[in-house]
Amino acid sequence: MLKLENLTKVYRTQEVETVALNAINVSVNRGDFVAVMGPSGCGKSTLLNVVGLLDQPTGGHYYFFDEDVAGYSEAQRSELRKRNIGFIFQSFNLIDELNVAENIELALLYQNVSRGERRDRVGEVMDRMGIGHRAQHMPGQLSGGQQQRVAVARAVVAGQPLILADEPTGNLDSAHGHEVMELLRSLNEEGSTIVMVTHSQAHADHAKRTINLLDGQVVTDALRAA
Amino acid sequence: MLLNYLIIAIRTLRRNASYTVINLFSFVLGLTIFVLGGLIVKYEQTHDLFFENSDRIYTVGMVFKGEGIGGSSRDITTYSAVGPLIDAEVGDLEAVARVLIRPRVLTIGDEKINQAVRFADPAFLQIFKFEFIAGDASVLHDPSSMILTESTALRHFGRADALGETITLDNQLDLRVAAVIRDVPTNSHFNSSLVFDNDFEFLAPLSALSMVSSFNIEGRWGGIWSWDHTYVLLPATLDVTWLDAQLGALFDRHKRPDEDEMALGFYASPLVEANLSIFQNIGIPVTSIIQLLSLLVLVIVCVNYTNLATAQALGRSREVGLRKTMGASRVQLLAQFQVESLVITSVGMLGALACLELLIPAYNKVTGRALVLSYASELPTLILTAVLVGLAAGAYPAWVITRSSPIAALRDENRQGRQGAWVRSLMLGAQFAISAFMLALVVVVYAQNLKVEESSYVFPRDETYALQLSSLKMDDKQSRLETLSRELEALPEVDGVALASTVPFATKWSATRLARDKDGSDTAPQINQLYVAPEFVELYDIEILAGRNFNRDINSDRHRSDEPGIYNVLINELAVSTLGFDSPQSALGQRIYGKDDDKETTEMVVVGVLATLPHLGQVNLLRPQVFFMEPEKYSDLSIRLRAGGSMLEAVEAIEEVWEQVIPEYPISGKFLSDVFLQLFNILTVASASLAGFASVALLLALVGLFGVTAFMAAQRTKEIGIRKSLGASTASLVGLMLWRFLRPVLLALALALPCAFIATSLYLDIFSEDRITTQVPILVLAGLTSILLAVLTVGGRVLKVARSNPVLALRHE
Repeated sequence: MLKLENLTKVYRTQEVETVALNAINVSVNRGDFVAVMGPSGCGKSTLLNVVGLLDQPTGGHYYFFDEDVAGYSEAQRSELRKRNIGFIFQSFNLIDELNVAENIELALLYQNVSRGERRDRVGEVMDRMGIGHRAQHMPGQLSGGQQQRVAVARAVVAGQPLILADEPTGNLDSAHGHEVMELLRSLNEEGSTIVMVTHSQAHADHAKRTINLLDGQVVTDALRAA
Repeated sequence: MLLNYLIIAIRTLRRNASYTVINLFSFVLGLTIFVLGGLIVKYEQTHDLFFENSDRIYTVGMVFKGEGIGGSSRDITTYSAVGPLIDAEVGDLEAVARVLIRPRVLTIGDEKINQAVRFADPAFLQIFKFEFIAGDASVLHDPSSMILTESTALRHFGRADALGETITLDNQLDLRVAAVIRDVPTNSHFNSSLVFDNDFEFLAPLSALSMVSSFNIEGRWGGIWSWDHTYVLLPATLDVTWLDAQLGALFDRHKRPDEDEMALGFYASPLVEANLSIFQNIGIPVTSIIQLLSLLVLVIVCVNYTNLATAQALGRSREVGLRKTMGASRVQLLAQFQVESLVITSVGMLGALACLELLIPAYNKVTGRALVLSYASELPTLILTAVLVGLAAGAYPAWVITRSSPIAALRDENRQGRQGAWVRSLMLGAQFAISAFMLALVVVVYAQNLKVEESSYVFPRDETYALQLSSLKMDDKQSRLETLSRELEALPEVDGVALASTVPFATKWSATRLARDKDGSDTAPQINQLYVAPEFVELYDIEILAGRNFNRDINSDRHRSDEPGIYNVLINELAVSTLGFDSPQSALGQRIYGKDDDKETTEMVVVGVLATLPHLGQVNLLRPQVFFMEPEKYSDLSIRLRAGGSMLEAVEAIEEVWEQVIPEYPISGKFLSDVFLQLFNILTVASASLAGFASVALLLALVGLFGVTAFMAAQRTKEIGIRKSLGASTASLVGLMLWRFLRPVLLALALALPCAFIATSLYLDIFSEDRITTQVPILVLAGLTSILLAVLTVGGRVLKVARSNPVLALRHE
């Protein structure tokens, strides 16, 4: 599904050059649930941004569904992104001015989905996430765990095959964190491909496969012992 | 999608209530001013359109070389001989007619009134299709007929159908009311005047005027009255270019040999512009100034919004990042932010319309105009204005916030970045430049007005009562005026009386060319001529710099226009230099030469030199002047009252004397100060309006500065925390922040003040010698005031941030 070949990402400022990703090779198959781990500054988030087509690599190849997207423009990437990728962020990134249903609906808004269908799909996903009774609440009125459920709902409502999660449990206590991980695992079991960055070994254990990064390079890439 | 934008917009605006209130306030204010300004200008520019054929009616005016009153080189009026000449020599026209407005005495029943009467050629009613209640358009052919407007008939006869009633003109000629027409709407040039009350009330045949005065029905080539008009009705097949060419040829055929010196020709202007000539006459482009100022106010409002919205939008970077992550295109995001500014401008427009509903009646009441905000016709303009303003104001913030990459937006990098800060400073500066410019303008104009008013006290304006004599038509006029003068002088309330051809501040004037050598007068400079009795010099305390005053006992002092001879004259000090004399003393006994009406050379001897005093109109212009003693030309009587007495009793006593001496004419008098104020009020109104605009602009700029300060202070809370934790004092932090906020203000002033200097110099030039000398200090003071206001505006917020707890400040991020 995804294939990174000798992929490099270098950040340049006027005086400093930082190599965030150093010629890494990773591939992700359909149905994978990959946890990306490593210390701060090892390149986890950069990897997720490049995989999520939010950022462009400096070198190497990135095959997204067999298509080399490394040189794509922002407009092209945006088009691919909205059809294929759902994002979950550590800080939820819900829009404070929109209620729960409207926040979830946002993901469908840019996809030319009719209003009736948007309503149906939002209702459906809210029920699935157990937040149906919160539809009219504003983000500020929800607990962290509930907010992240909304974010997860938003990431999957458009039916994108790939879900990218950047420390989805980072801002949650352990009970809520566990809940969210269970949610992701069930999504994976239903067919979603998930790539998740995390600091927590316990949460990484929910994934089928763990990649460890250090200084921009892959140190280990191992399947979880079943 | 649009619904989603609207929801977001409304909720965002609600959540940032103080930001919304600031923006709404400035949009309401700005749009009110802008729409009102537009309506005023449109109102003034669309007079007379209700007349049938208004697009084919033209007025014939004159182009002058040099200056008419107010420095204008065009006058909407022309010689009274031009109308008949056009009629006789230019074929193909549908109609030509003159209308002259003259102050006359009308006797209606037992009542005598001084009244501005319109005298017109019969074709006038062919050009203007008035609505007749009684009678018809043919009545002007009858020299003994009179047409009244409906309300005039009601006022004087108690009924609109006043046909057959008699009105006596100038105690001599009985006119019969032969027709009554509906009142002419307020928005007609017939009813527009800034100074004189000459509403359309009485209309008489021009032939009637020629029967009661020296006016010849053929008219005169020379001399213009500012409120007279010559109208032409063009056939639909001909255009104004053709008419202008005909008028040019006509001028060339009839011009006098030396006329090129002064008049350059005639021009035709469409009827719709006739109303604007009132502004042309005062020499100030009022409509353009209103347009410019209201546009400037609107620009300030837009900049305000742009600035605040940009600062505020940076706080919404994450939202933008998220939307981009989910595939929102830039265009979609731009649209979203534009919807927000459109919502606020639309609400602002509604608020402005509410304000206008209150303001317009007040404006109409004060100015005697009939402005209407007609939603039916203005709606497209109003909507377009709101949309354009919304788009213009919202474009920059939308562009700034949507331009970063999704990651940068998600990381909120915009907030830390200093990119765009200079643009905000620039906008803030521009705003301040505009308002400081306007403030400086207001203060200088105000100071100059004060100066004009102060200068007006060179004449005893509060103790001088002026009587109008020009409408008197009596065989024994001279002897009666002598009696009147004598009896008035005998009153205990009266200090002195003086006859002359004018009074100070009056706008009527005439000029002649005088030179020191016999043949030089054709090209010599123009010198104003005044006809005065010897008492004039004493009554107005005019200093005699050399020589003597007029003396009735010296035969050659008595000027007779119709008898050749060598006459003695007085000149003022300015004329001394104009004529090329070295000093007042050296002018004494010298001969000067001019031309009389028949182009014969006249010879004069200077016997006295007077101090130069401002005699002319509202702007206290100093002019070279020559004085003649010629009783036939006297048309005004100045009465100086004893200081300290009751003015009311004095006027009553004067009226009593008048009743006895000249019972057949109603008295027409006013205090000199009212003559002055009549014209000075225009300046007062102009400066008050300017002050209104400037206050609004300044208020808006300060509101904008306050809003931006709030956002910028919030943004810098972390920096302040760090500085404080490192030991910075509150005072040093206040200094630091004040400097940051005020830097654009200072730069703005550096730009605004020189511009204000240029603009105010243009204004002051109107006043030539009588201008203030404190222009620069006043401008500097205005600049300092702007700075002070800016400091006061940001001071509170800055102090609050500087005194905040560093821990709280650091936790902010």
